[in-house]
Amino acid sequence: MKESRAMPILPVEAYTSQEWFDKEQEIIFGNSWQFAGLVEDIQDPGDYITVQCGYQNLLVVKGRDQRLRAFHNLCRHRGTQLLRAVGKKQKALTCPYHDWTYDLSGQLVSVPQKETEFPNLELDQICLHKASVDIWRGMLWVHPNPDAESIARWFEGVQEHLGPHDPLRLVEYPDSRYEKLIKANWKIVAENFMDVYHLAHLHSNTLNMYDHSKAEYGFIGDHYVFWEPHAKKYGENLDKLMPFKRIAEMTDEYLGAFVPWLFPNFGLSETESSWSTFHAIPLSPQETKVIIRSKLEPMSNWEFTKQQWKSGMSWHGIMGGETKYGKKPDLSSEDPMDWNDFMEEDVYVCEQQQKSLKNPLFNVSRTAKNGESTVRNFQTIVKRWIEN
Amino acid sequence: MSGQFYKLQIVGLENPIETATSITLDVPTNLYQTFSFYPGQHIVLKLMIDGKEVRRSYSMNSCPYNDEALQVTVKRVENGLVSNYIGDNFRVGDSIEVMVPQGRFFANIDPHGYKTYFLFAAGSGITPIFSILKSVLYTSPQSTVNLFYGNANQDTIIFYDALADLESKYPDRLNIIHTLSNPKVWTTWTQWKGRKGRINAESVEHFITNHPPLAQNTEYYICGPGAMNNTVRETLINLGVPQDLIHVEQFGALDDESDEEGTIIDNANLTAKLDGKTFRLKIPKGKTILQVLKEENADPPYSCESGVCGTCRTKIVMGDVSMKVCLALDDDEIKSGMILACQARPLTEHIEIEY
Ligand SMILES: Cc1cc2nc3c(=O)[nH]c(=O)nc-3n(C[C@H](O)[C@H](O)[C@H](O)COP(=O)(O)OP(=O)(O)OC[C@H]3O[C@@H](n4cnc5c(N)ncnc54)[C@H](O)[C@@H]3O)c2cc1C
Ligand code: FES
Repeated sequence: MKESRAMPILPVEAYTSQEWFDKEQEIIFGNSWQFAGLVEDIQDPGDYITVQCGYQNLLVVKGRDQRLRAFHNLCRHRGTQLLRAVGKKQKALTCPYHDWTYDLSGQLVSVPQKETEFPNLELDQICLHKASVDIWRGMLWVHPNPDAESIARWFEGVQEHLGPHDPLRLVEYPDSRYEKLIKANWKIVAENFMDVYHLAHLHSNTLNMYDHSKAEYGFIGDHYVFWEPHAKKYGENLDKLMPFKRIAEMTDEYLGAFVPWLFPNFGLSETESSWSTFHAIPLSPQETKVIIRSKLEPMSNWEFTKQQWKSGMSWHGIMGGETKYGKKPDLSSEDPMDWNDFMEEDVYVCEQQQKSLKNPLFNVSRTAKNGESTVRNFQTIVKRWIEN
Repeated sequence: MSGQFYKLQIVGLENPIETATSITLDVPTNLYQTFSFYPGQHIVLKLMIDGKEVRRSYSMNSCPYNDEALQVTVKRVENGLVSNYIGDNFRVGDSIEVMVPQGRFFANIDPHGYKTYFLFAAGSGITPIFSILKSVLYTSPQSTVNLFYGNANQDTIIFYDALADLESKYPDRLNIIHTLSNPKVWTTWTQWKGRKGRINAESVEHFITNHPPLAQNTEYYICGPGAMNNTVRETLINLGVPQDLIHVEQFGALDDESDEEGTIIDNANLTAKLDGKTFRLKIPKGKTILQVLKEENADPPYSCESGVCGTCRTKIVMGDVSMKVCLALDDDEIKSGMILACQARPLTEHIEIEY
């Protein structure tokens, strides 16, 4: 591998080559706890979801004892994928190929024409390959290994640096789901999320409700934690400006935003009025799918509309309403920088950076001492995983 | 050594309900190590009643991980010899003979663990469950506890107030569901608003369905007298809970004792080889092999006299016996001829056993 061009810790190839991508899938994504959804995604016994963990597809199903079970989504017969996507109220798991059927605890319970075709097969000796699943902070997490270290250990020490939000109590609003295919390597997306230096620049007019100069951040093991307080103007007019009803647990001492990145590919954004998950799913060396889901304090339609209206009305007067380049926001523009939406600003720069990677002159030789230390740290962590 | 008894002084007596006595024992510093225990375990008391030595097991209801003194709680059993003796005769300052804590029913709690505990208790069965409950709350901050607790009526709920206090202190980590099989209509606390009915298959399923675990690493502890244990265990297994996550402690005989009186032989002949000696004795109807050997001062090993601990196990080489309770032996052991002397009554004229 040519190490001449660096990012600065990882080589450029780490962001472009299939070989690197395969290694990451196997070593990192095949050996870590992965976000699989929100607790509400699996409500009743027999409900299931499927999740990709690196190159392994897992299925998570709820048993009648209300416990979740995770299995590798492959039939013990010919290895066919058992279930697709999501489903409700299954009594059993049946393979589409030859109808081998497993109960909700993964145990093989029936094989068509068993007497003639598999006379010596002992059903109770065959169970789906097990994986691990757990619930942490209202979210579902899976791990391909059935004996994975506990989720509590994986996130040890992180909880103390997160917001006081109780996601189980908050409500997901259906319209709030955001999905976007970003034409950039997943690490570029991650690094952008952790780049403290860019906040005051790229997002000078979109994230100006925060005081970036007072941000507190660092790493707990492989996970990144971040908090920053509100900007004075925003804080003083919080009641008028916040887009949604205030989250009950966000009492004054917490005010600001908690924005951690949980290794390897998951971010949270926990603010005074919303709680959002940010899942960056690597699809190929240069493609990443981002799914954002948001939960809010339970509120009536009227309360929702009222707060949105209040915030919309007050924003321009107090915070200013121009884009980074001093224009009026224009959603019909071709240029995402005109939209005045920080998410689109980020997507834009990620894709621009990915494009430059092919340029032989590309090299990251200087990074900010503090604001980009997070990027260097993240790359060091990825490097350690791959090399060990 | 585990079979050894120590004299411990009673330093406190309370009645958490009218028909139960909590006994606080003083463990001298030099015995701290000896009397350390896991929550869920029990001690064995040795008493002389009417000139006869009797032993009974009592589970600690205190938590071993804080400065609570060692405590057991004894509930009166109708016509029960020891439980009523204790209720009537124990006085603060008395010293009693106590065997060190023991038992395979216990929780080994990992302070860093992330677990959901499901606890089921009926009547006096709350004692070890209370100890486990407190231990989880005090030592494993990320774990949660769900308790399903059945009693006859409002007046027989042991530790009602203490449980309510814990529930308000740990609202996010402790859920308690009480159920009363026969609630009183007029009581000091206005009207019973909790569940009515017994702990049975339907109520257990309802409880489980309404308390989905947060941490997916779960464990189930069940304790009570009578048939409730089996009901809960079977219901959980039917729901798909793996057997190795279910722990059961049986306090006493099943309610529906299928008495095999008819087939029990009166004055059967017993030959027992014990400690190099051979005893030839008669077993009068109604007595167990253990009782006969005790009366002969043969010094047979035993401790719980309830078919639970397995201390009295011995091998039968001739004949057949009936056992009311046989929780200390698994099927293989029974097949290989192991019996519990404290439960064994003769079904044949000649019985021969070898310790
Ligand atoms: C491991 C273990 C732990 C125990 N922990 C406790 C405890 O913490 N608190 C407590 O009060 N008891 C506990 N017990 C029960 C206790 O050991 C005695 O069995 C109980 O006190 C009755 O003894 P007794 O001499 O009064 O009754 P006995 O004279 O032995 O029996 C009288 C009648 O009552 C029935 N009986 C026996 N035990 C019970 C019972 N628990 N409920 C209903 N009927 C019964 C018998 O079958 C018999 O018909 C425990 C038992 C075991 C095996
Ligand atoms: S003395 Fe305990 S089982 Fe017999």
